Amino acid sequence: MRLIAYLLPRIAAALITILGVSVLVFLALRLIPGGYADILLGPFVTPEARATIAERYGLDQPVVLQYFHWLVSLLQGDFGVSMVTRKPVLDEFLRRAPVTIELAMIALVVALSFGLPLGIASGTAGRSRGGVARFIGAIGASVPDVVLGSVLIFVFSVWSLWLRVGGYVPFSEDPVGNLRVMLLPGLTLSVFGVALVLRTTRDAVMRVMTEGYITAAVARGERPRDIIRLHVLRNASIPVVTVVTTYFGFLLSGAVVVEVLFSIPGIGLYTFSGLLNRDYAIVQAGVLLAAVVFITINMLADVLYAAIDPRVGAGAKR
Amino acid sequence: MNIRSSINKAAATAALGLGLAATCVLPSLAQDKTITWGKPAEITGFDVHVAGTVAAWEMYQMIYETLLAADENLEVQGALAESWEQTSPTSYVFKIRDGAAFSNGRAVTAADVIGSLERIKDPETASYWSHQLGDIAKMEAIDDHTVSVELAAPHPAFLPALAHITAAILPIEELKAGTFDPTSQLLGSGPFMVEEHKQDESWTLVRNPHYWRKGYPLADRLEAPIIPDESARMAALRDGRIDFTTFANPDAPQMLSKEDNIESKPQQTTNYYRIDVNALSDKSAFKDKKVRQAMNLALDRQAINDFVFAGTSDVDYPVPAAFGKDACRSLDTYAMPREERIEKAKALLKEAGNENPEVGLIAASSNPVLGRIAQVVQQSLGDAGFEVEIESIPTAEYLQRVFTDGDFDMSTSWLAGYTDPSMVIAWWNPEFAVWNQVFQENVPELSAALDEVKTMQGGAERDAKLSEICAMIDDGANLLSLVSKTDYVVYRDDQVDVTVAEKSGSSNTFQYISEFKPLD
Amino acid sequence: MTALAAIRVRLGRLLREDGLSFFGLIMLVLLVLLGLVGPYLPIGDPTRIGAGPRLSPPSWVFPFGTDELGRSYLPRVVEGIRATFLLSVVAVVITAVIGTMLGMLAGYFRGFSDHLVARGADILFAFPAIIVGLLVAAVVGPGQISAIAVISIATIPLFIRVVRSVTLGVSGRGFVTAAEVAGASSGRVMLVHILPNITGAVVVQLTYAMSIGIIIESALSYLGLGVQPPQASLGSLLREGSAYLTIAPWLVLSAGAVLSVAIMSVNLVGDAVRDGLEPLKGRLLT
Repeated sequence: MRLIAYLLPRIAAALITILGVSVLVFLALRLIPGGYADILLGPFVTPEARATIAERYGLDQPVVLQYFHWLVSLLQGDFGVSMVTRKPVLDEFLRRAPVTIELAMIALVVALSFGLPLGIASGTAGRSRGGVARFIGAIGASVPDVVLGSVLIFVFSVWSLWLRVGGYVPFSEDPVGNLRVMLLPGLTLSVFGVALVLRTTRDAVMRVMTEGYITAAVARGERPRDIIRLHVLRNASIPVVTVVTTYFGFLLSGAVVVEVLFSIPGIGLYTFSGLLNRDYAIVQAGVLLAAVVFITINMLADVLYAAIDPRVGAGAKR
Repeated sequence: MNIRSSINKAAATAALGLGLAATCVLPSLAQDKTITWGKPAEITGFDVHVAGTVAAWEMYQMIYETLLAADENLEVQGALAESWEQTSPTSYVFKIRDGAAFSNGRAVTAADVIGSLERIKDPETASYWSHQLGDIAKMEAIDDHTVSVELAAPHPAFLPALAHITAAILPIEELKAGTFDPTSQLLGSGPFMVEEHKQDESWTLVRNPHYWRKGYPLADRLEAPIIPDESARMAALRDGRIDFTTFANPDAPQMLSKEDNIESKPQQTTNYYRIDVNALSDKSAFKDKKVRQAMNLALDRQAINDFVFAGTSDVDYPVPAAFGKDACRSLDTYAMPREERIEKAKALLKEAGNENPEVGLIAASSNPVLGRIAQVVQQSLGDAGFEVEIESIPTAEYLQRVFTDGDFDMSTSWLAGYTDPSMVIAWWNPEFAVWNQVFQENVPELSAALDEVKTMQGGAERDAKLSEICAMIDDGANLLSLVSKTDYVVYRDDQVDVTVAEKSGSSNTFQYISEFKPLD
Repeated sequence: MTALAAIRVRLGRLLREDGLSFFGLIMLVLLVLLGLVGPYLPIGDPTRIGAGPRLSPPSWVFPFGTDELGRSYLPRVVEGIRATFLLSVVAVVITAVIGTMLGMLAGYFRGFSDHLVARGADILFAFPAIIVGLLVAAVVGPGQISAIAVISIATIPLFIRVVRSVTLGVSGRGFVTAAEVAGASSGRVMLVHILPNITGAVVVQLTYAMSIGIIIESALSYLGLGVQPPQASLGSLLREGSAYLTIAPWLVLSAGAVLSVAIMSVNLVGDAVRDGLEPLKGRLLT
């Protein structure tokens, strides 16, 4: 019951946000110069041809009407058709979702398995600013995807090492081949995550370490590993959960640059080419789905806080 | 201890992943002979009579056929039509090949040919090829395999126009019956048919079992992953994931030439890189013809060849160099030493009262070659006092601004030269071309000359006319040729045996795709 | 201005004690100086095509080699530093001004304006950053202006959130209530009483926005929607060089290294500032 009272206003806010996103992306697309008629016909576009194309895709209607038409279709689960293939874009998104999810999972797993232990180790090391861990954090947060990806592509395409650049195959068809292709982009995405998780964990742990109950526990003579397990981790987890969920949401909404760089057919690349081709339905669906995923994940994080720390739920009204 | 446990966990996960992978059986290699084509871009639409981009044409050429085709001497040959006859300056009779059939098994008939040409001419279709076909007065099916066409006026470029993929023959019977939608399906009589299409990712084509040429195509399957990025295509060739692909940037084959098993075949085309100049807008400094002429003189075409194409291209002319005509060679633009041209350009600018014209130069950002050309153009025009600002914008925006809004000063791209010189220069008549109406000045004498040359048969007389026309084109400096565009087919010679025409006029790089032979 | 003074004092001490932050500060100062005086250095013209042979490896004449149009790469990298920093700084200043204003309004007045601002920030936050960038670049047209707009739009939601939450904390404090009771106008309360007390948080957030700004600029330019050629930014250099990665790796590697060092220096200085404001004291569990 309390959870519902806690979630209701958040769901309402989320719906408003999603509606706002839908209006913005819809309007922005129609403000952009150039349309699908240009892409299809190239230089040979005439006013008549433009009108034919506009009519075929309902672009001759007033924008407001187009928007409501889209919204009504959305509510019926219809995300529209691609102008190029005239097939439903939702099918394409569903086909590509596993690719993006796999990429995000690889990045997340790597980020957590390096970031958390290093962050905890560094936070409990007792120095004011951890040494090696801090250095790793600084490097990880500073090498952009583009640079790291390019360096990896250089290394792995000049010397034919086991991992491959490009040439995606689905996991179901060829698991080894799939991993050979997905590991490099996954690693590229994860480096920023490692730094992010490491820094957040370290700071959170250090904050907790100076709390009174830790001093008390130390005074009681509890073993350090018990103190960390029982007191530190639980109390330090909220900021870490926040950051990790935001990072995961960012990963799921499609890492355009990495997907472009490594030619990975995920939703980011699809949305990006949709935008270049002025294939409105693709971009609208891509942005909207990304926003929904992002918001949902953040909401799950909110629920998670409430589970971790009962005070959060109780204080919902502030 | 936390670190250790976590590392252990990670190791366990990795081991689990590998174990899982090892237990799965690798998909058995198909017995089918497959060739893999690294396609540089996704098609822009399905309608073969409408789409105006090479990315689309390349795919259509695998699936559709045209009545005629051009060989490597740019001479017209039979394709879907086994033979043809010109019975008068305006009438033609085409005999459709016996055994030609669409991939659904139905034979190609005279009705398909007539229906397809009618569809191109139909304004509802909005096909840009309608003009190039000329004015068709009447078409008749003499029998199931014979079509007669009557033109309203002589139009020698009618035959070369039929050799362009945009004049593809569709299954009209299915179209009318509603079982074939040309705007979302591909169904033709060519060597391959579509088995699967994953948008922006890949195409899987399989042989058309009803293809008229027995024993062809040599490959059973044609996989076409879409790989827009040049370096990614190079990597794919290196590790053998694709068998062949194309590059417009000559550095790419050069970079790959170090590999023992990678070969490259350049294909000379009648296409050239060009500059469109806006002679009509009040906002454009180029409305003044003198400024345009100064620009044309100041352009350093040789520098474009040297710096963008590493000297592998050649200076090109409005009548494409690939046709081997003399037209334009002796004009100042080409024959005068550069220092003198710069002086002449400066003098022209002075006369025009605009010694430092500020102009914008649009280059679509999707093609890096265009951006490089633009930068060399910027520098060479600077020598004569121009101040050029480059605008690198997305393709869709470029197209709308240049061809619909006329909101630009100059822009760079390339022009398809087709298979007859009269076809490409016809574009200098904006009433005929339509696409350049918003920026191309209509010069009545030039248009008249173009109309005349279109009706002339090849020979010395026509060549003289071409030279005359070229001089007029150069004088107007409204649409300029820069350097010729060579396509490079790069392939793994241990995986595939390719056949590529040395010269192509219809952007038909893979004309001989049915003869590509898988080697594994 | 107490917070700023505190930053200065603590920053000074930190830098003396902490080698890594010191290194960051030195690099940042060097890069900024290089960007400022770059055009006057005798290292060649960044846009001169054919200054040397195409794609030649680093040498005495061309310390960073030449690019695909035979331009000397060193001056291009220097110009790239200049452009990247200039764009990011301008964008982040815009973010700081707008973000601080909106965040303070939302945090101080609460109620309707709070909802409005918070929802607005949420909407922007929920957009994938690169897609926002692509849309904005497409609407405005690629170039410096759109790069600045994109960086601002991408960094503003987080900025608003941070300022809002800090303002919420400060406006409940006694001295704010006292000022209100004494009849100070809301504008005065915000400017005189709240702003000085949130400066620290703003400065810290500023450095983060700056490093994110540089990353976004590079991604945008890499996708071909940043500065216009022949101008160079660190991102556009990456894009140009990536086509030649296998035969001229020095192009991507040098631009990439400089870009990474730039982001790292901003991050390290940001960390030092933050540690100066709210020092985290570690302890050992023994």
